[in-house]
Amino acid sequence: MRSRVGGAAVAAVALLLGVLVVSQFRSRDVYSRSLEQETPESLTTLIADLNDRNRQLREEIFDLQLRVDRAQSQVSGGQGTLEESQRQLEQLEVFSAQSRVTGPGISIRVDGPFDDHALSDLVNELRNAGAEAIAVNDARVGPRSWFAAGANGDLVVDGTGVRGPWTVRSIGASDVLYVAMTRTGGIVGQFQLIYQRTRFTVTRENALDLPPLAAQ
Amino acid sequence: MRSVALQKGLAIAVPALVFGFLVAAQWATLAAPGSRDVGIRYIDPLTASLGRLQDEQTSLKAQLADVRAKLDQLQRAGAAQNGTVRDLSAQLDDLKRRAGLTDASGEGVVVTLDATRAAADLTQDRLPCFAPDLTDIVNAAWRGGARAVAIDGERIVASSSVYCVGGTIVVNGSIVSAPFTVTAVGPTSSILAVVDDPSQLSDLKRRRDQQVVDLRIASVPAVTLPAYGGPVVVRSATPQ
Repeated sequence: MRSRVGGAAVAAVALLLGVLVVSQFRSRDVYSRSLEQETPESLTTLIADLNDRNRQLREEIFDLQLRVDRAQSQVSGGQGTLEESQRQLEQLEVFSAQSRVTGPGISIRVDGPFDDHALSDLVNELRNAGAEAIAVNDARVGPRSWFAAGANGDLVVDGTGVRGPWTVRSIGASDVLYVAMTRTGGIVGQFQLIYQRTRFTVTRENALDLPPLAAQ
Repeated sequence: MRSVALQKGLAIAVPALVFGFLVAAQWATLAAPGSRDVGIRYIDPLTASLGRLQDEQTSLKAQLADVRAKLDQLQRAGAAQNGTVRDLSAQLDDLKRRAGLTDASGEGVVVTLDATRAAADLTQDRLPCFAPDLTDIVNAAWRGGARAVAIDGERIVASSSVYCVGGTIVVNGSIVSAPFTVTAVGPTSSILAVVDDPSQLSDLKRRRDQQVVDLRIASVPAVTLPAYGGPVVVRSATPQ
């Protein structure tokens, strides 16, 4: 009788231990998502996005191959690659925010309380929509720019205080940028719900003029 | 006598332990997100299409790196022929470094991020989106003086964006997978000073303390980040 009770107790403890070992293991295990867990809608969006990116990559390869062919011919003729170097210099000065730039785009005026996380999200969204150059008031946003909260509701861009109201200007395809920012459920719509005392005005611009990145 | 009792005890305990293990494992499998979904017949073909596009992208990135290397080679040859090109080459090298178009090496900080299994079980119907957390970590790394930052090997440059589609993260138009790794090359002490500052990444740290996210921060003595491998698109902006 005593032996039976003892056996049952051992079994119960062992059963509980088995459950606990697995539960503990799983709670410590990180959860790695896989694409199979996405909805068909999300997968379709991802396919569209990857298609778009692959198209951009093909265009870039095609463009660079033409430049390689031209440079090859210039080097073969002993002329050097001045034209190609100058072209690349201009392109990289824009891409690294080292030069003053002009071009079409949009401006987003933010008049009222706003914060650094929202500014970072806005810049991220503009980049996602294809912005080629961005500035917050007169502070150009560069490849390594960071944002923080300043004193008295100011925002900080790369360590420099930027006082509101803020105008975030971005150069790029103005229609694409405008639609990306103002679409239903887009970032500006979300901001309008979150920052109800703040006015957000998005305007298409024919010619914006952005300063170069401040010396870092 | 004692040996017989021990054998009896083991004969009960071992199967019970295995049974308990199986019960818990089976329960967790049934409760896992995704396994409740029925009738989603398009998941497999869509996932297969996505896999093909990812493979194509890997191949295109390799081609792009190859054609960029050819252009660099020709520019070096051109610099040997022309003094002006030689002067421009030094500027180009500096701009490429600033733009993230060259590999970056040195000491750094590695931050890894994922949902805990416990959190995932609670949010079965909605996969967690870590894009804002990743941009916050990148922001903190730049603030700490990082020279280069990458998310799962995707270099962060002036055109980079990080966003979620469902629970999947897209960086530079490429899908990155959990656990997410943000690697920053730069002065370890100042990057850690910002990342470890309680006022920074406070929401993320709160969720770590609640065991909702698995957040790990470590310094590394040497790490190399690959150059940005995507397109450099400058169409609308004109330099002055």
